[in-house]
Amino acid sequence: MVNPVLLIVIPLGLTFAIPLCGFISKRMVKYIPILGMIFNLVIAIALIPQVMKAPIIIKLGGFPVPFGINLMVDTLAAFLVALISLVGLMISIYATHYIKKGATQNYHMLYLLLLVGASGIVLTGDIFNLFVFFEILCISSYALVAYNGDKPGIEAATKYLIQGTVGSGLILIGIALLYGRFGTLNMAHIAQQIHSTTLLSMFVPLAFLLTGFGVEAAILPLNAWLPDAHSSAPSSISAILSGIAIKTGVYAIIRVIFILFGAHSLLHFILFLGLLTLLVGELAAFRQNNIKRMLAYSSTGQIGLIIFAVGLASTMGIEGALFQITAHALAKALLFLAVGYMIYRSGSMEIDSLAGMGKKMPVVSIAATIGVFSLIGFPPFVGFASKFIIVKATLAQNDLLLTILLGFVLLATVIECAYFLRVIQILYFKNSSQHSKQSLGGTSPAVLIPICIFVVFIVGLGIYPEVLSKILNSAARMLLDRGAYIRSVLSP
Amino acid sequence: MIYYIGAIGLIIIGLYIVLTKRNLIKIIIGLDLFETGIFILLICAGYVRGGTAPIFSEAGIDASLMVDPVPQALVLTAIVIGVATLALALSLAIRLYRHYGTLDMQKIRELKW
Repeated sequence: MVNPVLLIVIPLGLTFAIPLCGFISKRMVKYIPILGMIFNLVIAIALIPQVMKAPIIIKLGGFPVPFGINLMVDTLAAFLVALISLVGLMISIYATHYIKKGATQNYHMLYLLLLVGASGIVLTGDIFNLFVFFEILCISSYALVAYNGDKPGIEAATKYLIQGTVGSGLILIGIALLYGRFGTLNMAHIAQQIHSTTLLSMFVPLAFLLTGFGVEAAILPLNAWLPDAHSSAPSSISAILSGIAIKTGVYAIIRVIFILFGAHSLLHFILFLGLLTLLVGELAAFRQNNIKRMLAYSSTGQIGLIIFAVGLASTMGIEGALFQITAHALAKALLFLAVGYMIYRSGSMEIDSLAGMGKKMPVVSIAATIGVFSLIGFPPFVGFASKFIIVKATLAQNDLLLTILLGFVLLATVIECAYFLRVIQILYFKNSSQHSKQSLGGTSPAVLIPICIFVVFIVGLGIYPEVLSKILNSAARMLLDRGAYIRSVLSP
Repeated sequence: MIYYIGAIGLIIIGLYIVLTKRNLIKIIIGLDLFETGIFILLICAGYVRGGTAPIFSEAGIDASLMVDPVPQALVLTAIVIGVATLALALSLAIRLYRHYGTLDMQKIRELKW
């Protein structure tokens, strides 16, 4: 068995090997993130069958559990690490071609650091360790948003930094209150001592933690940074922020609600927040003329859908939420990469400037179309499977209120359909006015490979969703079984 | 008790500055005050009045008088994180000033909803 701590240690080591490699060969540097992510992907996939039987607990430094930091690798963690490394791998391949200007060495370093942070958040079983990894992810993403150094990039990064720092400050207050109450930082050990969240002394830290993680997850009142940051960053960074970074916020919220506090009374509130986020995100996306801003708002909407599914709190609801996380990570990363490449060639972010791209870049446009169809939820793609599970889970609750709310969810899908199909129409059926004659030349393989692999995954998982749903069902059951989590960590 | 009031006061002052001031440098100072308040709050959680350092050098020190070392370790970590954030924020402020010639966040609004 491979020790899961290597999932964090190897990429972290490689991160700091990058400047050293830069002394030897500048060109080698951009392949190091690929190396690290291939390693993580292989290990994580190898771990999944093992952890589906029983979660693996790693005691770092050999300290017994409530005193030392432990890693908790259950199905959810192993699966998410696999997803993070898959998306990370594809985007790092894309970046070898896309990132040419500026301090490329620093870009690759920060990028790998961001992925280390994301993997660490998913794996750790210690609440303060979670905060530290969260900060690693946040600080590297602030810097990466500003990577281009242009006006909008710097402005977006500044806003993101101010909001993100306040958010992580709130997380730290929550942790301080929990530590003051229980004198421990281990999530299982805290969870063992929390029996009810109705007490004010429990509700206050819960509220601080949820608000703090909500900033990174971009839940409705806290999402002001997202459209700026995602649209002003370089496209490869928008892809990783939309695909992975905001999902880690959602992951942290799921862990805090279900494992740490067992706060089932709060779930209806979460459900409403998710629905509001969904509707506002989709409506805001509808009136955008900038394609990357539209995709960013659509990310907000999709996060709302995930939160809605989490709020259902049934095994099937959680399974739907995790399925949606996967589907959105794949489709949105694909879209940002494909659209990013079109912007790179055409030089404009306006939707109208994409006119005629269907003829000029057939492969990239078809990939973008598939990504859009998957996001909307057309049948042979993975987005259909995830939305179908969420609808099924909502109806299975047999609650009139939920059925009405589901109507709003489907309404949001219709809005989504409307603005995305407009993009498709411009892509294929509108002739561009001026520079339509000039040919754009061939597409680099470093762009085509990741895009094609994403398409293969989207179509493959859409046709065979059972592959995924078996893993996700196990993850959802483990997540809802709070007692088993506590026992498996605390028993020696 | 007075420590808690001080810590929470600092947090609130910091948040107030972040929310109301327009100058970016003042906002960054506000963020720093906010973080410092949280650090003091964490230290308070482990403080024992009249306590000593938790080192077993002399025999006969009552264990209940020892100050909890964990929050101090946490605060050290958090301070390092805070320094990194602050450095990044200040460098962004420099770049922002070069682009716009002002640090007034009301005037810096290329990006809108």
